[in-house]
Amino acid sequence: MKIHIFYCSNCLDTDLLRKQIEINGNGQGDHQIQTVSLPCSGKVNLLYLLKAFEKGSDGVLLVTCGQDECKFLEGNLRARKRAMAVDSMLEETGLGKGRMIVVRKNEEDVGQIKAAIEKLKDNILQDTERSQE
Amino acid sequence: MIVAERKTIPELVDILEGHKKILVLGCGTCVTVCLAGGEREVSIISSALRIASRAKNLSFEIEELTIERQCDNVFIEEAAKAVERNDVVLSLGCGAGVQAIAERYPAKPVYAGLNTSFIGILEERGIWAEKCAACGACVLDQYGGICPVTRCAKHMLNGPCGGSREDRCEVRPDRPCGWQLIYQRLKSIGQLDRLKRIVPPKNWAPSLGGGCRVIVREDHRI
Repeated sequence: MKIHIFYCSNCLDTDLLRKQIEINGNGQGDHQIQTVSLPCSGKVNLLYLLKAFEKGSDGVLLVTCGQDECKFLEGNLRARKRAMAVDSMLEETGLGKGRMIVVRKNEEDVGQIKAAIEKLKDNILQDTERSQE
Repeated sequence: MIVAERKTIPELVDILEGHKKILVLGCGTCVTVCLAGGEREVSIISSALRIASRAKNLSFEIEELTIERQCDNVFIEEAAKAVERNDVVLSLGCGAGVQAIAERYPAKPVYAGLNTSFIGILEERGIWAEKCAACGACVLDQYGGICPVTRCAKHMLNGPCGGSREDRCEVRPDRPCGWQLIYQRLKSIGQLDRLKRIVPPKNWAPSLGGGCRVIVREDHRI
């Protein structure tokens, strides 16, 4: 299973993210997780996210700043809407819904990325099972 | 500009099923501005089609190209080699563009990837609204530059209908009443007297009644 994590570098430190993924045991093994740092989550557009799926990603996680915490004011809001558009487009393609998840970073919730990855993996497995029926 | 929106991916897959080499052809004019068929949308739709192709085992081979204007033969020529290389063309131009491509390359199937919607403008970020129905007999001079044919849901030339509530159209409450706008505009330019005139029924003959409309300018023909 291949997962891409796009994240805003203003709310998440690259080393910390990688460390979290490794601590959670998600960095290696059965699942391949690739991280993509962004200057702001608002940098993503539909094409960025779709290309990840086109190149073989099974699921994408987008980590944005918390509400009202975007350095560029509304980058996180735009990113969320674009991710929603990609999610519905993926449903149209037959790949299924729920493979594109947005996480709004909350400093107090250290396990939120781990939880989001687990949810993403569940969604992917459900989609795969559904398509095999 | 001409405003269009993309067909859904299942619709496009239905159209393209059975074909292998597909040219997704964008247009750099109106449909680029309305974010439906420009270079970026060509990439997005192509990417979605590749994902759909993999999910449904369709083996699409997609090439992407965007030309400056699909409704102009001068620019259509730029697509000649790409059209030749592929089995079919999925045009992301407006209806005129699709037909121009189909006329220029009669041996290739050319399919429309967009639904051409209306002539309109960008009202605000992400919102396009119809402003002109291309009826062929413009009445804008009589209504302060606001078209009752497109802006009034009932196309009333002698409005208002009386159904509007707080400046909102009763048919589409999310839109302003066209006749409220006409009144305000005529008032601001000192032409409220125009509203006292009874306007006779509109001449719809220049609209779609006579089939395909053609304009001939003899002074430009030789």
